[in-house]
Amino acid sequence: MCTQSAPDADVDGTAAAPGRRPWEERLLDGGREPDPRFTLANERTFLAWIRTSLALLAGGVAVEAFAGEMFPPTVRFTLGALLLVVGALLALGAGVRWLRVERAMRNARPLPLPLVVPVLAGAVVVGTVVLLAATIARMG
Amino acid sequence: MPPRLPGIPLPRPAAPGGHADPGLQPERTVLSWDRTVLALHVTALMFVRWYSEVGVWAFAPAALAALVGAVIMLGQRRRYGRQSSGITVKRVRPAWRTVAGMVAFVVALSCLGLTAMAALLASGAPL
Repeated sequence: MCTQSAPDADVDGTAAAPGRRPWEERLLDGGREPDPRFTLANERTFLAWIRTSLALLAGGVAVEAFAGEMFPPTVRFTLGALLLVVGALLALGAGVRWLRVERAMRNARPLPLPLVVPVLAGAVVVGTVVLLAATIARMG
Repeated sequence: MPPRLPGIPLPRPAAPGGHADPGLQPERTVLSWDRTVLALHVTALMFVRWYSEVGVWAFAPAALAALVGAVIMLGQRRRYGRQSSGITVKRVRPAWRTVAGMVAFVVALSCLGLTAMAALLASGAPL
């Protein structure tokens, strides 16, 4: 909603939703409720990130469990642990991003850049390089 | 007016809880939660892989996921209703409780996996 003027929770009486506690107001950084469709879109984006994170967790357990003789145990173990850690970081990042987008929308600020994307891209690159190196070392 | 056939109901006006959003946002959001619950169950069931090491405890994540999934699924109707009427009145309160709970659960699942792997490593069992 670019047309919203910068609201002031103290001056603008409509900003606070009825029955919202002060700390809840602080968590959401005041402002006013954006277009509900944007709130829902933000929720869906968060859920998409959570599913990505869950896929990484499932992948971490699977690599550790089912990779069999394909990779040496150390590689399997490292890769599994890495995927689990990145999955947890991604879930945390998704939550933080949801909150930052929500706060930006409520105050008609520009939306924050998705900092989670470089984290995920970096992790996938590291994982692939590790796997590739291990496979080549095994073959050589 | 055509003759009313017995057994065929007359068209009814839209339900009072209905919304006028052609983007079908509430439906898409509720379906998104559905997919997340499915992913949750798949991930939690992967932990059964440690059954031979820890016995029935390997089902703990699955049981936890069943609980969390049940809470989410039982709230779906209410969620849809709230979002649908929220679009009509142009105000939807952000569901920060559910979001925070979801993050906590996924992080807990990851910690469980890491703990299991660490315990396996410490026990000296063949990897």
